Amino acid sequence: MPNFNDFITTLKDDLLVFAKENFEEYKDELIKDGTLFVEKTKSDLERWTEGLASGALSKKDFEFLLKGKKDLAEMEALKQLGLSKIRITKIFNSLTNVITGSAIKTFL
Amino acid sequence: MNIRTKTHIFALLLLTNFGLISCSSISVFSPEAYQQAVNLKVESINLMSFATLPYPEFEEEVAFLNTELDKAYEYAKGRPNNEISTKQWEILINPDGNLLGGFLKRWGEEETLSQMFVTEMQTLVSDAFDTIIGLESGKIDPSEIN
Repeated sequence: MPNFNDFITTLKDDLLVFAKENFEEYKDELIKDGTLFVEKTKSDLERWTEGLASGALSKKDFEFLLKGKKDLAEMEALKQLGLSKIRITKIFNSLTNVITGSAIKTFL
Repeated sequence: MNIRTKTHIFALLLLTNFGLISCSSISVFSPEAYQQAVNLKVESINLMSFATLPYPEFEEEVAFLNTELDKAYEYAKGRPNNEISTKQWEILINPDGNLLGGFLKRWGEEETLSQMFVTEMQTLVSDAFDTIIGLESGKIDPSEIN
């Protein structure tokens, strides 16, 4: 009976073939991103493939969950982008205070 | 202090303030938006737990939740410099997507959903709300700016 490790091996092989056939130019990036996604979602994938094998999840459920994970990854990326902007704004706020303070101390 | 020095100070302050404004490309913290997201997270996860039961019994509750989600999205969209949070809401509630919006749509189309699918989706949707809440709580309080 196939286990989760068999699934991961098959998935990585399929990913390599898919990348070679469709995105030769970006093959390495695609394999890297795909492998990273698999690693990050490994525990979820393990549960979901078990659910798929046992019939607790349908093929449609499985696909929906995978796509949901991708949507969640986009939302997380947006959060990180927002937090980076906030950090930059905070630095500029502090800088403004320092420059204003120095100007007042020097000229007034 | 002569006129020239005063002009220099004015220009310097103007420059630093301009720098601040141009870099403030993200909205400030809104307690309303934060509270709205927290409440909707709890209400959504709670309603999702009934998705193993026939949809028609919960049609009104789903319609009500969808309206509240739309309000949250519109509120986010209406705030200045709030594109990132707006995009997050858009992904979460998109009926053709694969988070809360897509889940509610599928429930309506299929009448009932499997227990495991519902439980797994609750985790994803909960994490999705946390990205919105986490970003909002990280925003600068307006009192810190002035």
